[in-house]
Amino acid sequence: MKHGMKDALLAVAVAAGLGLGVATASAEPTGTFRYAEQVKLITMDPQQQSGSGVPYLRPVYESLFERGPDGVPVPLLATGYEVDGLDVTITLREGVAFSNGEAFNAEVAVANINRGVALAIIEGLKTVESAEAVDEFTLRIKLKEPDPAIIDSLCHTGGMMLAPAAIADPALDRNPIGTGPYVYDREASREGEVRVYTPNPTYWDKDKIGLARYEVWELPDDTARLNALKTGQIDAGNWLANPQSAIIDRTPGLKLVRGSGGLNYHVIISDREGTVVPAFADLDVRQAMAHAIDREAFGKAIQFGLAEKSFQPYGKDDWAYDPALEGVYEYDLDKAREYMAKSTFPEGFSFDMPSIPIYQSRLEALAGFFNEIGIRMNIVPQEPGTLARVSRTTSYPATNLVWQTNTDPKFLALRYIYENAAYNPFKTAPSDELLALAEEGLQPVDPAVRAPIYRKMASRLAEEAFLIFVTNTPILFGVSDRTADNETVVYRFGEDSINLRGLKAND
Amino acid sequence: MIRLIVQRLLALVPLLFIVSVLTFSFTSLLPSDPVDLIVGDTATQEQYEIVRERLGMNQPIVVRYVQWLGRAVQGDLGTSFFNSVSVTGAVMQRLPVTLSLTAVSALIAIVVGVAAGMAAALRPRSWIDRFATLGATFGQAIPNFWFGLILVAVFAVNLRWFPATGFTALSASPWDWLRSVILPSIALGTSSSAAIARQVRSAMVGVLQQDYIRAARAQGLSARRVLIKHALTNAMVPVVAVLSFQITVLLGGALVVEQVFAINGLGTLAIGAVRQQDIPMIQGIVLVMVALVVVVQLATDIVYGLLNPKARPS
Amino acid sequence: MTPSRPSPSSTGTRFARQWLTGSSLIVTMAVMILVLLVLLALFADVVAPYDPLKQNLMAALQWPSSRHWLGTDDLGRDVLSRLIHGCRIAVIAAAEGTAIAVLLGVPLGLFIGYRGGWWDWIVMRMVEAIVSIPGIMVAIVIIALLGPGLHKAMIALGILYSTSFLRLARGVVLAEREEVYVRSARVIGASDSRILLRHIVPNIAPPLIVQITLTVGAVLLSEAGLSFIGLGVQPPDASWGTMLNSAAAFMDLNWFLAIPPGIAIILTVLAVNLIGDVIRDGIGRGIAAEPRADVAAARSAAVEPTAATEAAALPRVENEVLRVENLQVVVGTGVGVPIITDLSFGIARGETLGLVGESGSGKTMTGLAILRLMGGGLRTTHGSITLDGRDLRSLSDRQMEQVRGNAVSMVFQDPTTSLNPAFTVGNQIAEVLRAKQGLSRAQAWSRTVELLDRVGIPRPEERARAYPHELSGGMAQRVAIARALSCNPSLLIADEPTTALDVTVQQEILDLFRDLQDEFGMAILFVTHDLAVAADICDRIAVMYAGEMVETAKVDALFSSPRHPYTRGLLAAMPHASDRNPPLPTIRGNVPRPGAWPAGCRFSNRCDFRTARCEQRIPLTGRDRLVRCVRADELALEAAQ
Repeated sequence: MKHGMKDALLAVAVAAGLGLGVATASAEPTGTFRYAEQVKLITMDPQQQSGSGVPYLRPVYESLFERGPDGVPVPLLATGYEVDGLDVTITLREGVAFSNGEAFNAEVAVANINRGVALAIIEGLKTVESAEAVDEFTLRIKLKEPDPAIIDSLCHTGGMMLAPAAIADPALDRNPIGTGPYVYDREASREGEVRVYTPNPTYWDKDKIGLARYEVWELPDDTARLNALKTGQIDAGNWLANPQSAIIDRTPGLKLVRGSGGLNYHVIISDREGTVVPAFADLDVRQAMAHAIDREAFGKAIQFGLAEKSFQPYGKDDWAYDPALEGVYEYDLDKAREYMAKSTFPEGFSFDMPSIPIYQSRLEALAGFFNEIGIRMNIVPQEPGTLARVSRTTSYPATNLVWQTNTDPKFLALRYIYENAAYNPFKTAPSDELLALAEEGLQPVDPAVRAPIYRKMASRLAEEAFLIFVTNTPILFGVSDRTADNETVVYRFGEDSINLRGLKAND
Repeated sequence: MIRLIVQRLLALVPLLFIVSVLTFSFTSLLPSDPVDLIVGDTATQEQYEIVRERLGMNQPIVVRYVQWLGRAVQGDLGTSFFNSVSVTGAVMQRLPVTLSLTAVSALIAIVVGVAAGMAAALRPRSWIDRFATLGATFGQAIPNFWFGLILVAVFAVNLRWFPATGFTALSASPWDWLRSVILPSIALGTSSSAAIARQVRSAMVGVLQQDYIRAARAQGLSARRVLIKHALTNAMVPVVAVLSFQITVLLGGALVVEQVFAINGLGTLAIGAVRQQDIPMIQGIVLVMVALVVVVQLATDIVYGLLNPKARPS
Repeated sequence: MTPSRPSPSSTGTRFARQWLTGSSLIVTMAVMILVLLVLLALFADVVAPYDPLKQNLMAALQWPSSRHWLGTDDLGRDVLSRLIHGCRIAVIAAAEGTAIAVLLGVPLGLFIGYRGGWWDWIVMRMVEAIVSIPGIMVAIVIIALLGPGLHKAMIALGILYSTSFLRLARGVVLAEREEVYVRSARVIGASDSRILLRHIVPNIAPPLIVQITLTVGAVLLSEAGLSFIGLGVQPPDASWGTMLNSAAAFMDLNWFLAIPPGIAIILTVLAVNLIGDVIRDGIGRGIAAEPRADVAAARSAAVEPTAATEAAALPRVENEVLRVENLQVVVGTGVGVPIITDLSFGIARGETLGLVGESGSGKTMTGLAILRLMGGGLRTTHGSITLDGRDLRSLSDRQMEQVRGNAVSMVFQDPTTSLNPAFTVGNQIAEVLRAKQGLSRAQAWSRTVELLDRVGIPRPEERARAYPHELSGGMAQRVAIARALSCNPSLLIADEPTTALDVTVQQEILDLFRDLQDEFGMAILFVTHDLAVAADICDRIAVMYAGEMVETAKVDALFSSPRHPYTRGLLAAMPHASDRNPPLPTIRGNVPRPGAWPAGCRFSNRCDFRTARCEQRIPLTGRDRLVRCVRADELALEAAQ
């Protein structure tokens, strides 16, 4: 009780002080910026979030760190960190309050991280054992295993800080409360249509609030999103490589911005022990599938020339990239048929593949490729926004996902390799080689030392062929010319959102 | 008339009850366990039980139904299985969208259908008649969503007269609202206007052969007066009966046409709910639709009674 | 008969039939389209130039070319081949969906219809519930249960459409169950199932076929819709709906993709609907075979020679209100087929002329011709109609409108159909007063009440607010008479005004006519087939046969000494109250249809007195009374004896 009073007083004092500073330093926030998101909003609880849709969260929630322009983590709600073996000590920014008045401190941050660990949905927290408060503004994270990418993980949903009241709220999925520059306006928002955010009056860095209103439009239909951009209903939006982004690229008045990092589209054979689809246990079958895909044509026709073919999880600019793997599964129908012929399933087989609308044409193309070697892939539609969730279940023997190419390679193991990996629903035990490489890659911190390990892991993955990489595409933003000219628009590194801190309306 | 309304409203109660029992028992047959769907495979048994209890799935279906019914009569149709969105809120938010499409397309169907049917009936076997008949025959064979695609290609993409996608609320801007609903409503209303045209024509041809038309003419009433007052009033009697059915068809058609124009109406909500097997949402949508249909039927019954004195309870 | 949902096209049967008549080419084309569809479905693998799933991403989204006649889709697959394979899915979908609907709906409907009771009540409440949900929503919910896919979607549609078959089967059973022969079969001791099979199933076939044609079209459209929203056939299989689904995403790049599947759906549904119309038409014809009047008329090309001399024989009467001379009415285009020829007569003020004859003799048409209200295809070609000294044939339509109601008015046979069911009777009289005499609303209403009072309606103010169906036939006819006399016309045409009424009421109405004529002094043209009525009310009688007048005389003269064999026949057929039992002598045969009239005397083929002279046209002759018969004098003598 006493504490609460003191905190509240402190928060008021801080807010008042900051308020004075703002009054002199910058103008009142004005104007509206409208962003369009291609995935439907499932939940506004960052720790329950398994797919994309971070643009809905960023206005409200801030993470402990954020990626700088070069991708290197810089403190945001934290002020610094220190890694010592399995202990990560993080100091927190003082004088920060949640928009509901609750104070931000080590106790709250610990509760957040421990909740994320318990929910076990965020991949970046998989290596975390637990967190504890050292003092009011210092916390310590204990790791289960060495994790060179832990700070990077805290740049994302894993590092987002929720207000204690929000955590206690059963309706948290629609009542987000964070420390961010904007607050969620539930009344003005329309379910399934638009989320409205207004300035956070208690924000700790008021200079960075440049907008009177920020909107995220939920427009999963690519054509609808394109039309919204054309008509000025939105200022910017994210896109996959598809006909609509190709149209943006050649439409006067619009610009297609290729963001940093990229998306790797790949097929995951989840049932690689053949529990549901016995053929998937056969390496020949998996290799046949990998060879059956004409990635060149796929990139041209399905992704409208915005893609590069891919045979490994990393992009060409990433430190773990291995040029030797280029062309390892080059399109070769004869070879693919040979593999099928010598497999135990020469007559072919069929399996179900979950699909969301934005992947529909990709999957149809893949189905066409697989059809050539006698494999029938049934495409089963899922509600947009639920692909990641069903991919974690045994509902489907295989799935298809994208992953950010500049994600730390350790996540490969967390997602696909470990027995309890997120997208290993059939709990297949990894091969000894893969397991060893995954663990070895976590020991050093220096990328130059880690790179050869992960190259080996990539070639081992290629051999086992349960991850079939198809193409890499850059993160794409479709924006109006006015947005392109807006100097305050900063695209987050390796993420399909715009940094809201300091963002101002066009003109 | 008031008696009719009361009678119909009373009939609404058992109908809604039966529909709710049907959907409730039907959705309980769903093959997948909704709890599993929500918690996912990674959940522990504890987590599973927590969610199961939150959803009330640990109770027998009859108990669940009674609880649900108790809340439903107070206007609370429950909460989505997948987020904290209230079903009533979600449905009510989408309702104006779908209603806009249904209402505007019904208006188009009535105006076009009655005009074409009348024109055809007045000059049987003339070229107007043949043209209207041909149009009506085609109109009933054209899939509404295909027609929507073509309308978008021509009037939105090429001519840029109307927006290709999206919906503007009537309260936000009546003009933009009209622009956003006009193409979907035309796509939706075409087949109904064809059905109504056929009905109007055959009813009108029948009515024009009636003695009372000739009798009215024999009293020296003008052709126009006889047509508008005497013929149309009677010809509309069977048309109104068809109209009630057509509005139900339009409501259903709106679900599909919404997809063509990327409009967030009940259709998008329903299809999403079905894909996710969001049972409370499906139930809510079905119930609200039935209530709508019954209200439409009530309205058409009243109009029917006004047009046809014989149908009035005396 | 079918208690099914009003379905979109069932209402327009007559409509489509009319359009189809003479358009057998279109029907042939519809059949050919369906045959082609089935053939393509059967031999899709042979006919299709490419594998429908064979993709070529480097040749995606191509426009039509010689290699790909309908271009390629977003994956470079041949659109034509996919379209052809889509035929197979369309046929499977239509067959499967309809079959499920029939197999589910008909037995259940038969069962609950026959059983009745609780079974019937419960199932029908469920059907009502399903029917009150938009169809596509029902299908979507069922698909939620079953999952997407062609066969599952068809099960959903089958369940949905089974409700109409259920209601149809139940309705037929309920109707047939009460039929005598089913009851008698039960008495004999036949088992329930035998009764169902032997008696009910054959009766259900015609409406069933009609409902099936309706369902096939509906299933095709619904399947396309479900596939379009991704709940029906799943990609990469080629159905027309899924093809449209992917076309929708590429409209900006290649709009042509949406055209072939759309046209395929439209043509197929169109063909099914057209053939359904024809089948329905055929079944409808089987029930009510009625030869077409205009076809029969077209057979006879003979045009009557007109004898312009007869009018001269027509004696002039004093105070003549109406004079018709040499009137000829024809039907059809060109010269047309005559309906009425060389008709001449006159009526004086205060006089009642009876126009008698069997139905089909043209007497009603004469009344309508005077009013120029004969209806479609009929017109007057010769002669004059002079009313109060004005030649009505020379008036414009607008002037004619002025004449109607004011100078001449008409009372029709059936008062329950000649009054508009949608308005109160007072409204209908007041409307005439306001339109014709420019009275105000209040004036018109009080005059209406006066008129109703005058025609002997008790509590007129109250009755003025009644709807026609709330009045008895006699009361309604009084209302019709009040309306006809509301503007005090000089001529009243009464077309069988008592025929539809009870005998007791008939006399009251005839008395009313007499009273009103005494008061208003109008001339009455009284059309009737009932000579007893004519004898009662008329001053003179004109007998019509096959479009012409055969005899006219004062009523006493005509009844005491008919000159024309037809008149004699009519008189002989008159029932007398005293001798009801012995069968009435009748004139053999029927009135010939227009166009099928004998060339000479039109009565000759039914006449017992026919001679060779009857083979030529017979003029109307005489002085006081006129008769159209070469043997009139002989017959008069015979009658006198």
